[in-house]
Amino acid sequence: MKKGLFTLAILLLVGFNSTAQQVEFEEFDLDNGLHVILHQDNTAPVVITSVMYDVGGKDGDRARTGFAHFFEHLLFEGSENIGRGEFMKIIPANGGTFNANTSQDRTYYYEIFPSNKLELGLWLESERMLHPVIDQVGVDTQNEVVKEEKRQRYDAPYGGILEAIGSNLFKVHPYKDPNIGYMEHLDAATLEEFNAYFDKYYGPNNAVLVVAGDIDIEETKKLVRDYFSAVKKRPEVVRNFPKEEPITETIKAQAFDKNIQVPAIIATYRTPGHGTRDAYILDMISSYLSGGKSSVLYKKLVDQQKQALAVQAVNISQMDYSIFALFAIPLGEVELSTLLSEIDVEVAKMQNELISERDHQKLLNQFENQFVNANSSIAGIAGSLATYYLLYGDVNLINKEIDIYRSITREEIQAVAKKYLSPNQRVEIEYLPKKEDQ
Amino acid sequence: MKTTYIMKTKLSAFILLFLVTIGVNAQIDRSKQPKAGPEPEITLEVPQEFELKNGLKVLVVENHKLPRVSYSLRIDNKPIATGKKAGVESLIGSMLGNGTTSISKDEFNEEIDFLGARLNFGFSGGFASSLTKYSDRILELMADAALNPLLTEEEFDKEKTKLIESLKQNEKSIDAIGSRVGDALSYGTKHPYGEFVTEETINNVSFGDALAFYEKYFNPNNAYLVVIGDVDFKTVKKQIKKHFGNWKKSVDITTTLPKVNPNAQYTQINFVDMPTATQSSISITNNVDLKMNDEDYHAALITNNILGGGGEGYLFKNLREEHGYTYGAYSSLRANRYGAGRFSASAKVRNMVTDSAVVEALKEINRIKTEPVDPQILKDAKAKYVGNFIMGLESPQTVANYALNIKLNDLPKDFYSTYLQKINDVSVEDVQRVANKYLKTENARVVIVGKGSDVIENLEKTGIPIKYYDAYANSVEKPTYDIPMPADMDVTKVLNAYIAKIGGKERLDGVNSVKMMAEAELQPGVMMNLEMKKTSKKQFAQEITAMGQSVMKTVVGVDGGYMVMQGQRKDMSEDELKDAKAESSPFPEVNYLSGGVTLEKIEKVDGENAYKVKVDDITSIFYSVETGLKIKEEKTSPMGSQSTFYADYKEVDGIMFPFKISQTMGPRKFDFIVKEIKVNEGVSDADFN
Repeated sequence: MKKGLFTLAILLLVGFNSTAQQVEFEEFDLDNGLHVILHQDNTAPVVITSVMYDVGGKDGDRARTGFAHFFEHLLFEGSENIGRGEFMKIIPANGGTFNANTSQDRTYYYEIFPSNKLELGLWLESERMLHPVIDQVGVDTQNEVVKEEKRQRYDAPYGGILEAIGSNLFKVHPYKDPNIGYMEHLDAATLEEFNAYFDKYYGPNNAVLVVAGDIDIEETKKLVRDYFSAVKKRPEVVRNFPKEEPITETIKAQAFDKNIQVPAIIATYRTPGHGTRDAYILDMISSYLSGGKSSVLYKKLVDQQKQALAVQAVNISQMDYSIFALFAIPLGEVELSTLLSEIDVEVAKMQNELISERDHQKLLNQFENQFVNANSSIAGIAGSLATYYLLYGDVNLINKEIDIYRSITREEIQAVAKKYLSPNQRVEIEYLPKKEDQ
Repeated sequence: MKTTYIMKTKLSAFILLFLVTIGVNAQIDRSKQPKAGPEPEITLEVPQEFELKNGLKVLVVENHKLPRVSYSLRIDNKPIATGKKAGVESLIGSMLGNGTTSISKDEFNEEIDFLGARLNFGFSGGFASSLTKYSDRILELMADAALNPLLTEEEFDKEKTKLIESLKQNEKSIDAIGSRVGDALSYGTKHPYGEFVTEETINNVSFGDALAFYEKYFNPNNAYLVVIGDVDFKTVKKQIKKHFGNWKKSVDITTTLPKVNPNAQYTQINFVDMPTATQSSISITNNVDLKMNDEDYHAALITNNILGGGGEGYLFKNLREEHGYTYGAYSSLRANRYGAGRFSASAKVRNMVTDSAVVEALKEINRIKTEPVDPQILKDAKAKYVGNFIMGLESPQTVANYALNIKLNDLPKDFYSTYLQKINDVSVEDVQRVANKYLKTENARVVIVGKGSDVIENLEKTGIPIKYYDAYANSVEKPTYDIPMPADMDVTKVLNAYIAKIGGKERLDGVNSVKMMAEAELQPGVMMNLEMKKTSKKQFAQEITAMGQSVMKTVVGVDGGYMVMQGQRKDMSEDELKDAKAESSPFPEVNYLSGGVTLEKIEKVDGENAYKVKVDDITSIFYSVETGLKIKEEKTSPMGSQSTFYADYKEVDGIMFPFKISQTMGPRKFDFIVKEIKVNEGVSDADFN
């Protein structure tokens, strides 16, 4: 019986392989060290130009946190050839859309245009890289905008969770500080400091440019050279972050949020950085625990026992250490500790027994579905190409990452649950409503 | 300056040419924005179609780029009014998709998750997606869940609890209340778009009602199934026939939609008090009869885009960028095939700027109606539409949506192939014309949900009439904010405190006349002068002049009074004269001591607690609790209110006079700065003739 199921599973996998879409791409380097990835897909007249810089919240002086996120805003101010505020006008006026985002590890800027505007996209990104305007007016403007963003995010219920996790899970590594930074650091920062940060981290040899969509490869290569060759190479970025000591005894902490009525419990673990095999396995564990209505924790705590309003297990991938977190909001009078011990029962089961073959197959199906959908737009493909190159060091993962998931066995899932997810390896945070007098 | 700047960059580009290796061939001028290539050619695919005998119409968009398929089912009933049982549709909707008569709920959910698929339902359709290899099974599950749903009383009760719980969670949400009250007032509570769900209506729904709703409305008669993705038309046709073929057609439902409420007779604020709010939700709205097949549809899209379509819109530029009132301000102009379209401009702003945000938003709406749009702004707005249209083509859903829209809205077949042309044809005149046609600033509702104690006072100063509603759109009285009044306080004490504070009764009795000169800025650089005289004989004369011309003059003499406005003289009636005289003496408080006035309550005036003394039906005066000084005078009429604020008291001949007098006029406020005050000097009886 068991054997029969296995063969069926293998047959399905083979069937999948034969129909999966291969993402073709071409890579080259400019003399200044800028890595370029091109992906051609002429099915729709759309093109994306994007640049991912190898700089994130973790980079920079710890008395000047939040610089990378600040630059996400600042680098829209203008350039030598683009007037102040024009960046955000030129793009919609040409039928395009744009955005940018920052994590602890990297910053990503992109524009999507009808494909006859390819050159415009390259011009905008090369202006930003070559000679953006970094001046006091821009710094002052963006300082206000960033503060508004912080207020907006804090006013959202449970908005302080990531910060609570970061500050409790990390003691010395810069992941301890919020990605958006401390406002007093930004207030104290000088123009010289901003300029020095730009010079250090925003060079072509610390970035990757992706052009994807309705393009002609040869013509695009030429345009990329035309626009980006003028940027000067910078010294290589050297990082030497302090290492964290492993957690061997449960750490208990509390955090407060004035925008919530109902508390939450968080249990969080420091786990290996992304790209490692164990990190992939932890992805699967989080899906097993809370992905979908039939997942272990949802079914038990939300549907059947009605103890939780919400429950989630997440694996937040980061370069140096990932964060695995269990999170639940109680329903009615249920105690936070009760909720956590109910969750622990299910984690312990994973440590002591193999998950069923059917559940294993279910995980594979869910990851295959995710994998296919990740490649459903050129914007998604461009983001993946940049990420796999810059953070994982292997662009081919765009086609092959699914093979890693497929190769993960039930035994490995059990072993990894045992290795990383025991109560003595975690921080338990009671996330509580803030009272008037606190 | 600008020229040298460009020269310099051109020069450096020139030098670069030499430096860069020959192979690079950098023939670019980066000082200029690159020109776009020729517009890409657009091919609009048309979905394949077929219809089942039971009326289900199927649209298929084959797209083999990725090994996945999606199915979306839409049951196109007319909007349904559920009245006292509102909520029945959400209850049945959330019960669907949780098992079938032959598959239990747990098994059903487990299988969906196992396939790595998605499936969900609502009362008017459902959506499912999966990888190609499971596409037949997910279609089968979807059909089974639609045709043979597992509907149990236990699940019904669970959904009922959840729905009531979610209403409670939104009890204090200014967004939820704003949209409910806005819909109810605009459409009327009898209209399906205006009715709303309450705990009471949910409790009115029985399990039987939910089943009956499903039987009556969940039918293939007017249903569409849209299939997108990695399918073969012939195969999927067979599968759909197999799974949906025995869905039974039912009798056609004939319902008549009630008419939407007419727009407001005059522009008004519809205020809902939410004491816990830290922001106000503002929505300026009126109903419109706009349909997708109207000639003005494309112009309406562009017009709305210019006003409030995004970060380049008039509203955003003013409210966020210029004034920093809000994180975002946008508008929408929705077409509706049942004649229930709506215009709305909305923003959430912090309490203190609620009134200013209303005034500025109205200003921008009026601007697009009165000022021709800058041709460059129009051009950019069009480019944004064209770009979005082109970029939308990347998604196969777009093709399906277009085909479905043509059917649902009875559009001409070439609606989308001529779409870009029609967008490009919109002219400056069209924008202004369409703005005047659809944006009814004279008949708008300004629906505001916010903290009344912080915002009402200032909203009243806008001069826009205010009507008050509760969170369920019932008309209510203006909310009062009671600050406890000390038990031993009475009107005599308030008046005496004031009199003592400004100099004492003895000094005031010695005043026969007061003459005051003040000025205020009418508009930047243009001053307005005020001269006022009062005597103890209850004579009063006031004249406002601007640019040497008399704007307004009021005279109250011993036997009669009159007003002159813009050259027109109007004599006062006996009643008017009596009212005017009551306030004409230099310190009317001395007269109030003899009775006729009442102490009402303590109210906030610009954050300061003040005793409110009612002088007559129209006039109230506010005295600061802390200082005893008169700080505000308010006159209310059915069409709005007018307030005068007194500040900056200084001593003249031993008596304290306010040196800053601010007067509200409609949405504006004028600050009169007193230049000179003369006591018992410079006034004669001749001034009051």
